[in-house]
Formats: sequence, structure tokens, C-alpha cells
Amino acid sequence: MSSGRTRSHGLYRTWVIATLRRRTGPVLATSLGIALAVALLASLGAFLSSSKATMTRRAIDSVAVDWQVEAQPGSDSAQLAADVGATAHVAAAEVVEFATTSGFDTTTGNTKQTTGMGQVVGISDTYRSTFPAEVRSLLGSDAGVLLFQQTAANLGASPGTVISIGRSGLQPVVLTVTGIVDLPEADSLFQAVGAPTGAQPQAPPDNVLIVPSPTWHKLFDALSVARPDLTRTQVHVRLDRRLPSDPAAAYSSITGQARNLEAQLGGAGLVGDNVAAALSGARGDALYAQILFLFLGTPGAALAALLTASVASSAADRRRREQALLRTRGATARQLVGLGVTDAITVGVIGAIAGISLARLVGRLAFHSATFGSTETSAMTWTIGAIVIGFAIAVITVALPARRDAHRTTVAESRRAIGRRQNPRWMAYGLDFLLLSASALVFWLTSRNGYTLVLAVEGVPTISVSYWAFAGPALLWAGGGLLIYRAVSLLLTRGQAVVAAGIKPVVGDLSDTVAASMGRQRRVLARGATLVALTVGFATSTAVFNSTYEHQARIDAILSNGADVTVTTSPGAIVSPSSATATAIAATAGVHHVEAIQHRFAYVGADLQDLYGVNAATIVAAGRLQNAYFAGGTAKDLIATLGARPDSLLVSAETVHDFQLHPGDPITLRLQDGRTKQYTNVPFHYVGVTKEFPTAPHDSFLIANAGYIAKMTGNDTVGAFLVDTRGADVAGVARRLRDVVGTSATVTDLVSTRRIVGSSLTAVDLSGLTKVELAFALALAAAATGLTLWMGLAERRRTFTIAAALGANRRQLGGFVWAEAGVTTLGGVVTGAVGAWALATMLVRVLTGVFDPAPEALTVPWAYLATVLSICVVASAIAGAATLRSARGLRLELLRTQ
Amino acid sequence: MTDQSIVRARDASRTFGRGASAVVAVHGVSCDIDAGARIALTGPSGSGKTTLLHLLAGLDVPTTGSIDWPAIGDRADLRPGAVAVVFQAPSLIPSLNVIENVALPLLLQSIDRRTARVAALDALTRLGLTDLVHSLPEELSGGQAQRVAAARVMAGRPRLILADEPTGQLDRVNGLLVIDALVHAADRSNAALVVNTHDPDVAAHFDQVWSMSSGRLLQREPARR
Ligand SMILES: Nc1ncnc2c1ncn2[C@@H]1O[C@H](COP(=O)(O)OP(=O)(O)OP(=O)(O)O)[C@@H](O)[C@H]1O
Ligand SMILES: [Mg+2]
Repeated sequence: MSSGRTRSHGLYRTWVIATLRRRTGPVLATSLGIALAVALLASLGAFLSSSKATMTRRAIDSVAVDWQVEAQPGSDSAQLAADVGATAHVAAAEVVEFATTSGFDTTTGNTKQTTGMGQVVGISDTYRSTFPAEVRSLLGSDAGVLLFQQTAANLGASPGTVISIGRSGLQPVVLTVTGIVDLPEADSLFQAVGAPTGAQPQAPPDNVLIVPSPTWHKLFDALSVARPDLTRTQVHVRLDRRLPSDPAAAYSSITGQARNLEAQLGGAGLVGDNVAAALSGARGDALYAQILFLFLGTPGAALAALLTASVASSAADRRRREQALLRTRGATARQLVGLGVTDAITVGVIGAIAGISLARLVGRLAFHSATFGSTETSAMTWTIGAIVIGFAIAVITVALPARRDAHRTTVAESRRAIGRRQNPRWMAYGLDFLLLSASALVFWLTSRNGYTLVLAVEGVPTISVSYWAFAGPALLWAGGGLLIYRAVSLLLTRGQAVVAAGIKPVVGDLSDTVAASMGRQRRVLARGATLVALTVGFATSTAVFNSTYEHQARIDAILSNGADVTVTTSPGAIVSPSSATATAIAATAGVHHVEAIQHRFAYVGADLQDLYGVNAATIVAAGRLQNAYFAGGTAKDLIATLGARPDSLLVSAETVHDFQLHPGDPITLRLQDGRTKQYTNVPFHYVGVTKEFPTAPHDSFLIANAGYIAKMTGNDTVGAFLVDTRGADVAGVARRLRDVVGTSATVTDLVSTRRIVGSSLTAVDLSGLTKVELAFALALAAAATGLTLWMGLAERRRTFTIAAALGANRRQLGGFVWAEAGVTTLGGVVTGAVGAWALATMLVRVLTGVFDPAPEALTVPWAYLATVLSICVVASAIAGAATLRSARGLRLELLRTQ
Repeated sequence: MTDQSIVRARDASRTFGRGASAVVAVHGVSCDIDAGARIALTGPSGSGKTTLLHLLAGLDVPTTGSIDWPAIGDRADLRPGAVAVVFQAPSLIPSLNVIENVALPLLLQSIDRRTARVAALDALTRLGLTDLVHSLPEELSGGQAQRVAAARVMAGRPRLILADEPTGQLDRVNGLLVIDALVHAADRSNAALVVNTHDPDVAAHFDQVWSMSSGRLLQREPARR
């Protein structure tokens, strides 16, 4: 027994050496397919884990105050602060006091401005350095009595203004404003801690004053005794932020820490967990990234597997001959299977090593990090996973077919690569049509309204994905591939006359013979064309999806930034459209067009909303308004309606609902008059609904004609200048504009905005994914066309050599070769493009959740598609030319063997 | 110029490989083959018959010495048409059926399809292959495939027919049928015919029997009829 085993070992070693030496080409080609699959999976996986880590980091970085622990009635706030400060993971803790004021007022001359209810916040003198992002200085001093910008605008106050603060049941007190501030995180700062999840989030107060803690106590200690319901105490916490890199894991970890603290405090305090709130969104984004990975990575890996299978099966004829030979020399079926496994291991090892090296190279080139910026551990996990899949592909495509052949009893059974063998059985069953119908059905079900791909409910620890949605594209992919096979196969058999007529100009009287020859090789040719179609389809649909996504991400950024560069005037600064500043902005180098828009606050009933005054003649182009920003018409239509009457007004859908408005209804806004600083009534007419507008908040806002607002309020102050640079050197223009406007305005640009806009998924991640994906798609397209043709043609080198030996001239030989290459490449490219269009449409629809707002049309990356096409054509030209060369070289040894 | 030789070899040698592993397959062969010649080439296995045949067919070029075709022209003029070869190994195109394979050399000569088909069918009939007209090479036995290869030579009107063991896999009856057919084809166009064979029965059908040994052309004797 043991001697038999030893003999087998010797056999396998000899076999591996012989294989590597004599079948170098096929072995390398098969390994290349595996390498591509391994590299794609390893790169995408490492990239995915690094993106998730980025998402977690970004989400946490965006949080100004990690936890707001609110003291519960009856608890001792000093004790609470001490307890919280002593908790694990807490890096810093500060006590913050809140008091509700009945309102602020100021007197200028003999006019008096009054606000509604507001909040007075007491902070320690170290608070702003501990939580630098919570309060942002706009004007005046950084410390002392700091007035919220919106309140300052309402009161017409600036540093030095004396304001009076109302206290329920007590005398008002008077303070002098020392600085104007912005509160970027007002939403979380004024959150209702402990509110049940799912409760309507409270709008932050419009009127806020921040005072030093001692001042606060002097002002409100009496109030907290008389009206404890009007004051509250919080401990603001900065954590050490040591969290897992995956957003979902980080979310559960931080939530656990918060629960733990609450339990320790024994009811003395409730945690407002801002980190968890931020991670909750990132968690959904991470899942989307994972879905994208699946949507884009799976077909790539599947294609690489198909490519490997196709290459391996081209070499199968040869393997069968060798197996037959070995069998006649007494090799057992077991040994033959062993040799198949040896082959699989050989290509698996070469493929895995090449694939991992390729992945590390891609990582270094595209991300300057061999591990794509992820940790070594997670990169290693993905590497191992990719290698396992690589070996699985090797076993399925190399070892299994060898095993099947080894158990065949006769050589004749396995001999026929060409011939009359019937069509694959699935064709008779119409499997392709079944798959396509199922795809359409799933797509219809999953793209109906109200369907959500990712369900991430805030406060709920688990998020769910509807994996059903994957079935649509997957079925389309499989069904489409089979349909293409059927179509090419049909063309080569039933459509032989058409093929013959098509190649007649090249091969003349040989056309019927060539067409008949191709008809008998329909299985190989249809398989090749299908593979080319699938890779072209993969490259195309990925590119279309990616550029549509890029386009939308840009629109998203424009929506939040307003334009390439936006110059926002500081509160209190009075900048008229004809001012020197405006002229200087327009004259700055690189500035193409400047669109001035007004920004005011207007009362709609008791509601204070942002009001934008626009120039209807120019805003559609200058603001790059998208149709998705409006309801009931295109952007052009609605802005034209707005411009048709001076007192027209576009409002948000919520406002239409709240005030039961119908088109043409009069609506009165209360606007501040520029001369008297008093709020006065200004009549408008409601004409349409707007959903989004550059620089506007996502909830309620109003759009009116700038000229009318200026006339009715005696004030033409510009709120923001939208600067169009025609896309060129956005950062440079922004830098120059900062010099021009100095402190009178802030300058923001699209590029940096894009990096921080809401979801991190839109901001960075896909651009990296794009690079990797598109590069792999190109490699796959080249490999699929080149290798499939080359391997297919190489197997037929003998045929071409016979034809040459019979006297076929260059043109006639070319006819044989180019007709086959043409059907494979052209057939593949054309059907692939059609399939890609369907697939991209479906992908964009299924992944609608990734897009906000939804795209109006697919964006087609023509340059990339032209590259794909030329790569296919060049690859097939090289394969064809190489074959022709070898046939014309009349290698007679091919005619000596069979 | 009817007295010109069809093919003429002068001190032609063919060496495979280089240095220590070099094999001299054909060694200093000189000969003249005229129109109407009927030659059987014999010799032990590995003696260089196939190599010489390929040289005479212009498929291969001598390493030293020369080969030319005075009655035909340049090496470039040999194919398609003037020289027809039956190869030792199966040489049918697997994706073409029998009649397409036989008609192929004619189509390569730009003979129109109909004429080519008729000629191909003729040759196949002569070799008793009418039933196999639409078969694919993979569906043929080794002997049937050899007969088809012979038919392919017959369909044209070549000046030089070179057949490399055309009867190797055939029974006696069919072997003689093939030889007859080749001779008939050669007669029709007054071609020179050279046939490699191990079989003395076959050799006996030829005017001359040449024998080779270790690459050299040794004896040239008229056949004993
Ligand atoms: N491509 C090649 N490379 C190296 N040696 C070769 C090559 N082709 C032929 N030979 C050698 O040349 C010699 C003559 O071969 P050839 O095929 O002409 O013999 P043959 O007389 O036709 O034999 P057989 O009767 O077996 O067909 C042999 O020793 C062979 O090994
Ligand atoms: Mg021989």
C-alpha cells in the first residue's frame, strides 16, 4: 500500500513539473482568472473595512459633546458631576445649567425689539476649550455674555448691545452682550434627554444666551427655587472614544457604556447619547457600503470564476487526451482524479499568490496603503477569505471536470469538443426566460413605493437589510447571460446565411464554409461571446452606476454648499448687491458668475422660517437647481411661475399642509423692516412647493423674489453669493475670495464641503471603490476577451495550420480567424452593452436609498466605456494576430501529432 | 518546357535542433522527379521519409542545399493547386464535414462553390465514401479519415502529389483502392506521385522504389513488377 502511495507521490511531482514546463500558457491563464478573483475580493474587502472605520471615525468626530447626562429632579448636581467624572471611559465632564427665559428685549432709540421664549445657558470658563465644537464665535469676545446669531438678528443686537432678560415671576435683569456666536450643534444641545425613542424631535430654541456659570447662578438660582420646572442641570461628557472600528459594533459598545452609567447613577441622571445618535446613521451607511460591496464585488468575483472555467475548459481537450494516454498506461481513475486535484492546487497556489500581491499593489497605488487603510487584522481576514474562494474556484473549474472525465468509461465519450451534440438542456426548458421573468417580478415587487432596502431605526440596536432586493439584479445577470448564449448560438445555426453574407466581403467564396465551421463551434463561440458580454456588462453597469452616484454626490454637495464657492455674509453685515464687496467678488480671478441671494427670517404665523430672495431670471442655472428640488413641475417651471408675479412665494410641503394652502392663496409674512428694525406684515401669494434649495435647511423654508423683498423691507442686503467657477480650481478661488471679503463674510467651497457632507458614504468611499472596481473591470474585460479568444484559437492552431498547409492565403486564413474573433467580441460587446443598460437601471433603482435626492437620469461615462471597448477590440486583435502568425509560420510539428 | 523536372533537390539536408542534440533527418539528398513519375519511398521508421516529403512539398525548407520546382515556379506558387499532400497524421479540419473538407482546397483556389462541390463528390464516390459526405471527422474511423484525406488530394488537378503513408491504417482492399485513386488522379493531370510506405505490396505498384536510411537516399531502383 505504502509503496503505491510513494509511487503516486512521484507521479504527482513529475506531473506538476511537466505541467508547469509544458503547459505554461494554459496554467498561467487559469491562474490569472483565479488571481483576479482573489485580488478583487481582497481589495474590496480590505477597502470595505477601512471605509467602515472611516465612517465610525467621522461620525464620532462630528460629535461636539459625547454625552449629555441630565440630572433628574431631586438629585444633587455636584454629586452627579463627581460620579460621572469618576466613570470609566470618561475623559472630561463639565456642568452646564439651562434656564427658560420668558424672552429677551433691546431698545434702540425709541423702538423696542422683543423675542419670544428662550434659553439661558450657564457654562464654566473651561467649557469652550473642553468642547470646542459646541459654540462657534462669530463676532466680538469669546467669553462673557454670548448671544446666539439668530437671536442677535431678531433683536438687531451686536457686541455692546444691552439686552434685558425676562424671568417668569421675577424682575427682568440686564446684561451687555460681549459676543455673537453660532451654535452648530443646537439640535443636540437642547435635546430632550430621556424622551422616548421615536418621539418627535424638538426644534431648538430660536433665542439663546450663553453666560458664565457664576452669572447664571446669580440670575437663576432664585428661579430654580421658585420654578424648578424652568431650570435644569446637565453634565456634559467627553469620552476616551475607544470604540470598535465597525459602526454597528461601535454603536452597541457605546450604548452599553451609556446604559452602564445610568445603572450606576441609580436614577440620578439620564444619558443623552450623542455619539450613539451619530453612529446610528453611520451604521446604516456602513450597511449600504456592505451592500454596494456585494452588488459590485460579487459579480466581479463570479466573472473571474467564469473566466477561469472558460480558460480551463479550453484546455480540457488536451487534458482528456493526456488522461486517455495515462489510462492506457495503467493509471487508475483515482490517480487521474489525484492529478486533477494536483492541477487545481497548482493553479490555486499561483493564483492566490498573484492575487494577493496584486491586491496589495492596488492598495498601495490607489490608497497608499497595502491594506487599504484598514487594520492588519481585518485585511488578513479578508485575505484569507479571498484565498479560500480562490481555491474553491480552482477546485470547481479544474478538479471537478477532471474527476468527471476520469470516471467516464470511454475516450470517445469525452472526445467531442465540436460537433452535433445537442444544445444545453436549459435551452429547451427556457431557463433564461424563466430567470428573466423572475428578475422582473422581484424588481417590480422591490421597487414599489415604500420599499426600503436598509432599515436602521434610531435607538434600535439591530439594523436589517432586505436581501431580497439582490435577487432582481442577480437573476437579471444570470438570465441575461443565458439569453445571450442562446442568441449567439441561434445566430450561428439558424442564422448561418446571415453570418455568411456578413463575412462574404472578407472571405469571398469561403464564406459558407467558414459560417458552417462556426456553426459547429457554436458552443465555444457562444460561451466566449457570453463571457465577453458579461464582463463588458459588468464594467459598463458599474461605471454607469458609479458615475451616476458621483453626479448625485456632487449635487448633494452643491445643495449643502450652494455653489462651487459660497460667500455667506456675516450677521449684521450689510452688503448690498451694488456694494464694493459684491463688485470685488465678481472681479476675483476664476469667478465666472456670481448669483446674489437674500437670506432673511420670516414669521409664518408663529413659525420662524428661513426666507430666500432670488432673481428668478438667473437662479435656475446659477443655483444648478434640479427638478427634484420642486414638486408639481420642473425647476424651470416653478421658478418661472415665481418670477411671473413679484409677490409670488414658494413654500415647503409642511407649510402647505399646516396652513391648508391652495395655489393662489394670499399669505402674509412678518419680515423685519431694514429702516425701522420692526417686524412688519408683507403680503405674498402662494404659487408652489419647494423641497430643497441650495444652502437652505432640509425642513421648512420659503423662496420669494429678491426685488419684491427689497422693495417691501427697504433692505437689499445679500445673504450669500453663489460663485460659479465652472468647476475649475475651486479651492484656489475660495482662497482668493477669503482675502477679498475678510471678516465680513465666510467662504466655503464645494470640495471641502463634499468631504464633510452628512453621510460619509457619499463623501469618500465610493470614489475609492470606483477606482478599484473600474480598474478590475477593465482587467476582466481584457482578460475575458483576450484569454478566451487566445485559448480558443490556440486549441485550433492545428486547424489553422492545416488550412495554411492546404494553401490558404493570408486573407483566407484571416477570414477563419477574424470571423470567430468578430462574433465573440462584437457579439459580446453589443449584447453586453444592452444588458448593462438594463442592469444599471435596475441597480440605481434598487439602491435608491443611497441617493438623496434621487437621480433624474443615468450618467454615462463615455470615456470609460470607450476604453472598455478599445480594450476588448485590442485584446481580440492581439489574440487573432498571434494565432494568424503562428498558423502562417507553418509549424509542421502540429501536423505530425494528432 | 515539358521536359523540365517537377521537383529537383540538390544536396538538400534538414537538421532539427542545434549542437549536441541536433538530428540530421535528411542528409544530402539529390534527386529529380519528373512529370508522370510514380515513386514509392520506403525506409525504416525515423529514416527521414516524412521530412523529405515535407521538403519536396515546400512545406519545409532545407537547412543546406536547395530544392526547386522548375516546372511549377517559386515555392510561393506551389499552393493551393500545384502540390497536394496527404499527411501521415489525421489532417481533416474538425469543424468541417467530409465534403467541406474535400472541397476546401478548391475553394482556396477560388474555384466556385458549385464546381468545387461536384469535384469533391466525385472524388468521394471514387473512394466509396458517398455515405459519409455529411459526417464530421470525429465521427470517422481512422481509415475512413485517411480515405477522405486522399479524396481531398484527388479533387484538384495537382502537378505533384505527395502522400505520407496513405494506407497505414487501411485493410488491403481499401489500401489498394486508395493507391488506385491516387494513381488515377496523377494520371489525370500527368502529375508526379510520391508515396511513403512501409508496405512492400504498396511499393510494388510503383515504377520506382526509393529507399532511405538515416536521412540518406540510398537506392533508387525500378520496381519489380
Ligand atoms: N521537429 C523535429 N524536431 C526534432 N527532431 C525531429 C523533428 N521532426 C523529426 N525529427 C526527427 O527526424 C528524424 C526523421 O523523422 P521522420 O518523421 O522524417 O521519419 P520517418 O521516416 O517519416 O519515420 P516514420 O516511418 O516513423 O514515419 C527522426 O529521428 C525524428 O525524431
Ligand atoms: Mg513518417
